[in-house]
Amino acid sequence: MDKYQNIRNNIIDRYSCLVDDEKKFADSINIPLKQSFRVNTLKEKKKTVINKLKEYDSNIKTTKWNDNAHISELNNLGSSLEHFVGQIYIQELTSMIPPLIVKDLIKDIKIIDCCAAPGSKTTQIAAMMENKGHIIANDARHARLKSLRGNLDRLGVTNTSVTLRDFKSFPNTSADLYFVDAPCSSEGTIRKKNAVARTWKERDYLRFNKLQNGLLSKACEMAPSGSTIVYSTCTFSPDENEKVVSETLDKYDLKMKTISIENLRSESGITEWNNESYNSEVKKCMRVWPHHNDTDAFFIARMEKY
Amino acid sequence: MKQLEEVKKNLLLEYCLERFGINPEIWEGYIWYSGSKNKIYLANTLELERIIPESKGICIFRLDKSPKPTTNFLQLFGRYITRNYVELDNENTKKYCRGEDLILENNKSIIPGFLLMTNKNRFLGCGHWNGKILKNQLPKSKFCKINFL
Repeated sequence: MDKYQNIRNNIIDRYSCLVDDEKKFADSINIPLKQSFRVNTLKEKKKTVINKLKEYDSNIKTTKWNDNAHISELNNLGSSLEHFVGQIYIQELTSMIPPLIVKDLIKDIKIIDCCAAPGSKTTQIAAMMENKGHIIANDARHARLKSLRGNLDRLGVTNTSVTLRDFKSFPNTSADLYFVDAPCSSEGTIRKKNAVARTWKERDYLRFNKLQNGLLSKACEMAPSGSTIVYSTCTFSPDENEKVVSETLDKYDLKMKTISIENLRSESGITEWNNESYNSEVKKCMRVWPHHNDTDAFFIARMEKY
Repeated sequence: MKQLEEVKKNLLLEYCLERFGINPEIWEGYIWYSGSKNKIYLANTLELERIIPESKGICIFRLDKSPKPTTNFLQLFGRYITRNYVELDNENTKKYCRGEDLILENNKSIIPGFLLMTNKNRFLGCGHWNGKILKNQLPKSKFCKINFL
């Protein structure tokens, strides 16, 4: 039994009651993910890069739900010349979701990415904006800025300012769009090779809940009327997902937006967990389960301040 | 970081045009900044009102006695470069990415100074030709073993 099997079993036991098909869920948790990536369109056209990469791996596939999300059989695309020159970015499929659900907004606007390192979403947003507009990419830890800076440089992102702050004490800054991709227990990434995983206790989920609540509250406080806030995590835990959104909805003037991505199978947010009920609006949140699209797990909510 | 003085900006624009043949029109919409250690940054971002950022945009030059283009700069703007670039074969590309200096054959037409290294329309980064040897200018953090090219 590998060292992660206990963790996998705990995840299966804890969340099987929430899924439509326990067996498929359990099976998917035990299958490692293939390497996925996107083409950095700031540097080169998608077609040119994919054609070149097909010389190394003729089985590269594009997902049905994102025409710039690709899966490779190779597990070392990081040693390709395309990676070296910044034409591709290796990124989990689910991590590409947050910018996609606000595609309608992403153009020449001002965006704050509250927890930006290592820069997966920031660089994806910059590419969607064609390096126009302005992104403030913030992270609280100095050690993580190195990877963020390195990725911005490699991918040629020029519309981004990097800040180093605990977001809870970030000066009030008006923007059109806020991304709160909060630190979490990361249980949803258990299929990933070298996943940083451990078994969490109830008190750990509550500790994350407090941290996530603080970050989302800060974004809601500084967001002007009409702006959009996107909250996301890569965990299954309702304490870090629906509960955080529910508590935030009760505190601030927010309108939940229904979200969907064509051809991506997803489920609504849940309204009850551990004998607790949540605001019914959390049904508009999106849950992505690993067995539905052969991905990690993911949770995302889109809110508008009014 | 503060906005770059006009004199220094003009010097760099001139260098880009003369050394690499980059049309100055491509710089429209960009703001040039100077940071610590004579580093020059290029960004198209707004000024932040209440917070001092760690960095803006990307570092494109180091301006000591003369301008030194960065690998970030050459990788991003390589498509606009019309002179002083060297096409490497696959073997030399692998050596370059590992951080090794290179011996160039057919080097008589190469003008000493900084060069863009390329491999089949992929812009690798910076090298310095002194007339005898091509000194690798990749930062150590970018050294990498390439398995697929």
